[in-house]
Amino acid sequence: MMHEQLDISGLVKRFGGLTALNSVDMTVGSGELLGLIGPNGSGKTTLLNIVSGYYKADGGSINFERRPVLGHAPHQLARQGIGRSFQVTKIFRRLTVLQNMLVAGLSDGAQSQSEATDRAMGLLRDLKLERLAHERASSLSGGQGKLLEFARIMMLSPKIVLLDEPFGGVHPELKRFMHDHIRKWNDSGVTIILISHDMGSIFDLCQRVVTLSYGDIICDGTPEETRNDPAVLDAYLGDHHGAA
Amino acid sequence: MKLQTLRLLGLGLILLVFLALPLLLGDYWVYTITIGFYYAILAASWALLVGYIGRISFAQAAMAGLGGYASALSVQHAGLPPVLGLAAGVLVAGALGFVIGRLTLRLHGAYLGLTTIAFAEILRITATAEYQLTEGSRGLQVEPLLQDGSRSEYYYLFLAVTVACLALMTWLLRSRVGLFFQSIREDEDGAASLGVNVTLWKTVAFAISTAFAGLAGGLYAHFVQLITPSMMSLQEMGIVLAMAVIGGFHNVVFAALGGVSLQVLLEGLRELGEWRLVVFGLITLLILRLMPNGVFGTVADVLTDRLRKSGDDK
Repeated sequence: MMHEQLDISGLVKRFGGLTALNSVDMTVGSGELLGLIGPNGSGKTTLLNIVSGYYKADGGSINFERRPVLGHAPHQLARQGIGRSFQVTKIFRRLTVLQNMLVAGLSDGAQSQSEATDRAMGLLRDLKLERLAHERASSLSGGQGKLLEFARIMMLSPKIVLLDEPFGGVHPELKRFMHDHIRKWNDSGVTIILISHDMGSIFDLCQRVVTLSYGDIICDGTPEETRNDPAVLDAYLGDHHGAA
Repeated sequence: MKLQTLRLLGLGLILLVFLALPLLLGDYWVYTITIGFYYAILAASWALLVGYIGRISFAQAAMAGLGGYASALSVQHAGLPPVLGLAAGVLVAGALGFVIGRLTLRLHGAYLGLTTIAFAEILRITATAEYQLTEGSRGLQVEPLLQDGSRSEYYYLFLAVTVACLALMTWLLRSRVGLFFQSIREDEDGAASLGVNVTLWKTVAFAISTAFAGLAGGLYAHFVQLITPSMMSLQEMGIVLAMAVIGGFHNVVFAALGGVSLQVLLEGLRELGEWRLVVFGLITLLILRLMPNGVFGTVADVLTDRLRKSGDDK
């Protein structure tokens, strides 16, 4: 049975006079695949940055698996099982693909180098990057870089993954491949929060969609409910509906 | 031939040359290269910080001076044998490096560089002003490391310590710690998202790097038997920086070779008097223009490339 894994309550974030998140309440169940949408500047990435420890909140609380998140550093949250990707990939370009993986595999000191290498090669094989394992990450294409970022996150054996615009600039064929893997991870029990402006991907993948606008949640429902919600249509989807 | 085998052969050959040099050279050049080993450890310690974790520092020469003073003073006042004095120098320089690393965590680029210059100048001016303790710019007499040690004995001792330091640095940089350092250099946020404790490793890198600088400074002081605040000057730091960059600061061994080579070059240019630094500067500019990865870095790149190509041809 699905239990409450991430509990966000009254979350507030301000940048000077701008309120990026205005007392946001949200819960995410274990094993959910949740879409987070909204226009640019609505607070989606800010929310992810707070959940993963990169930003400090100005108010409210976040609990992950009943443990408080706020006040913890990003590396501590990563080790607790919160994995994330970034809008612009942050792969280590001068390291090899395998070394990129090993950073994640060795960071908590729980695995030996050979255990981490075996696991890394398995994940790279799954993502069709095995033959590039000893190449520098700078030689990867943009799409391969996104896949490497996926693979690195999985090296952490995360309980929840926060994906920030993973499909930006990705070839349709590769996008389908990424969809398959997101579903596969979700089927294996990993909770996923997906931010994307690609409504096709959001409605195809997610069981639940939360819409943010100017720091407020304006809709929280199934893809069908979101698609037909007047507030969402007015604030966001009016422009994107055709594209989806 | 495999790349790894070629690397080992190259390093073995360089070591053999260094082992043979005292048999071929006079005392003056043996002395010069011994000082070169001091610069080799110093340049490598700077490369460890800048090349691997991407943190700039202009305090490395000052840290060497601190290590030298700490060692000399602990021998003079606490009656420690010079070897334990060296250990004290390593600890003091490493501890201050840890503090600097901690205080400068959020600083980058020019801001970090300027802060380390400020630390370096504070140390140099303190060493100059605390006359009663350090004898100021006149310099402090230091106990020799080897009683009645010959130039050759010092040479081989410095060579052994340099090789040991480089082996230790290489081992560290090839371990998971080196991987964490490089991930931080590449992208701090990306490294943290994978569980790397960026704060810890940035601080530790500063401490390790300055501890090696402290060891180099201690060795130098006990060899020359005199230590003055001028070894902590920004001009000295500029020379160390040039050595690491010209050797190739993305590899501690290349940076160390840059240290020895440039010390020999500087001595070779001594006849030019004041002009030697001008000529040195011009040579530096030329090398940087033609070999942006440093002399040894470029040579290694060319050899690696050729080896890969010959492998592909087969």
